[in-house]
Amino acid sequence: MTGDIMDAEKIIDSLNSKFPEAISDTNTESERRISAYAAADNIVEICQYLKDELQFGHLSSETAVDLIQKNEVDIVYHIGSYDHPVVLTLKAKLPRDKPQIESVVPVYWNANWYERETYELFGVQYMNHPDLRNLVLPDELLGDWPLRKDYEGFPQNTAKNLV
Amino acid sequence: MDTNVGPDEMLIHLGPQHVAQPGPFRLNVKVKGETVQDSEVEIGFIHKGIEKILESKTYLQGIPVVDRACYLAALTNEEALVGSVEKLAGIEPAERSQYIRVIVEELSRIQSHLLGYAEYASFLGFVSMFMYPIAVREKVLELLEMTTGARITHSYLRFGGVRDDLPEGFEAKCKETFEIVKKGLEEWGELMKTDMIYRDRTVGVGVLTPDIARDLGVSGPPLRATGVAFDIRKDDPYLVYDDLDFKVCTETAGDIDARIWVRIAEIYESMYIIEQALDQIPSGPLFPENLPYDRRSPVMRVPEGEVFYRVEDPRGEMGFYMVSDGSDKPYRVKIRGPVYPTMQALPPLLKGTQLADVVAIAGSMDACTSEADR
Repeated sequence: MTGDIMDAEKIIDSLNSKFPEAISDTNTESERRISAYAAADNIVEICQYLKDELQFGHLSSETAVDLIQKNEVDIVYHIGSYDHPVVLTLKAKLPRDKPQIESVVPVYWNANWYERETYELFGVQYMNHPDLRNLVLPDELLGDWPLRKDYEGFPQNTAKNLV
Repeated sequence: MDTNVGPDEMLIHLGPQHVAQPGPFRLNVKVKGETVQDSEVEIGFIHKGIEKILESKTYLQGIPVVDRACYLAALTNEEALVGSVEKLAGIEPAERSQYIRVIVEELSRIQSHLLGYAEYASFLGFVSMFMYPIAVREKVLELLEMTTGARITHSYLRFGGVRDDLPEGFEAKCKETFEIVKKGLEEWGELMKTDMIYRDRTVGVGVLTPDIARDLGVSGPPLRATGVAFDIRKDDPYLVYDDLDFKVCTETAGDIDARIWVRIAEIYESMYIIEQALDQIPSGPLFPENLPYDRRSPVMRVPEGEVFYRVEDPRGEMGFYMVSDGSDKPYRVKIRGPVYPTMQALPPLLKGTQLADVVAIAGSMDACTSEADR
C-alpha cells in the first residue's frame, strides 16, 4: 500500500470533483461503506477512474433491483479494493421498459458473468458485452425476466415448455 | 468460445456429471493434441432461485434456505444473512453469541477445508487419501452436531444471537478433536512434501500470478496462494474478529500446491482462533435485552434501507446485498458467492495447460457449484 491511504471522505470528494455532472447523491454510511448514483451514460468512464485512481480494483458484485413503483431498474455495482477497506455501492437508474447500459467488462473482467445473469433475470441489455446470453436459466425461460416483481411464476408460468 | 474445430483439434465435454466434480457443471475444453486451446464453463444445472425464494419468505424463514446455498459452508451463509438483517434492523448481537458464532463458523471452515483436501486428493487419483481426511472431518462434524443439532445444514444463527448455548463438555471435546486433526495434518503433510507423483502433479501447475488473480476477481485461498493477503476477517472485520489474534495465511507460488498449503495453514489458524475464543468467551445472555422482535414469532418488520454485508467464507468473499422496503420480507437479496468468480476464472487459467491437468487445476479451486448457481 502506498502512503496515500484512502478514506471514505476523500473518495467522495475526489469523485464529486472529477465528475460534477455524472455523480450525484453521494452518501457516507460508515467509514467502510459509501454510496453514490452515477449517470448511466458515464458508467464505464467512472469505473475506469475508480480502478485507476482510487484503488477500487475489485468488483465484488453487480446486480439489479426492480423498483416497479418508480418504474425504474437500478443497476447496483459493489466495488471494493484490495488496498483499503471501503466498499462503494454505485447505482445507475434505468427506465424499466427499456433498460440499457454500457457493459463494464473492459474495466472489470469478472463483470462478464454478473452481467449475463442480470440480463437473463431482469432483462437489462448490456451494450458491447462480449457474450450476452443466458447463464443459469434454461433457454425456455429467457424473456420472462424472473427476478422482476411482476413475474407470475409457478404455477401460471414456470411449467410451460417443460411438460 | 468458438465451437468450430479445426482438422487437428477436438472438443471434449467434461460433465455436467463427472466423477471428479463436486457438483454438476460443464467444462467444454478444446484441445489440440494434449494442449488446451480454449475452454468454457457452463453453470446453471442446479439453479435453485434462492434469491427469488427469499423474497417470498420472512426474514426468519430465510435462514434454512440460505443453508442450502452451499451445504459445506452453511454457517457462513447464515452469518451473511443474519448479519445483514442485524445491520438493517440495528441489532447488536450479544457478546457471548458473537463468540459462539466465531467458534462454529471456524469449525465449519475446518470441516470444509478438510473435505476440500480429501476431494482434491481423490481428483489426483489418491483414492485412499480421500478416506483419511473424511474420517477426521467426521470428528469435527460431531462437534458441530453437539452444538447445533445437525451435521450439515444447521439453522443455528438467530437475529441478535444463536439458538442454543454451547453444550457441556464442548471445550474438552474440542481439545481432543484438535489433537486428532493436528496429528492427521502432520501425517498428510509428510506425504505432500515427499511423494514424487503428488509433487509432479501440483508444483508449478496452474499458476496464478497476483496481478492476474486480482484482475480475475478471485478471492479466498486461490488468491491468498498468490501472496495477496486479502481476508474479510481482517480487511472488513465483523463479529469479534477484531479482538482475536490471527494471521492471514498466504503462500507466494500461486500454484496448486500453494493453494492446498494455504488451506492447511488456515485449518491450524482456525483451531488457534477457536482456542482463544473459548478462553475469552464471556458468560451472559445469548440475546441482547431490547430485541425489536418477539423471539417466538416468525414475523419481524425491518426498517427501510439497504446493506452490503461481507463475511469470509471458507472459499473466499461472501456478501449479501439486501434491500428492505419496511415489510416483513426482504425486497431484494443478492448473494455474492466466492465460487462464482472463481469458476469464471477457469478458462484463462486452463489455457495452454495439458488435458491431464485440467481436473487437477479445476479441482484445486475447491469450487462448490451449488453456491455458484444458487
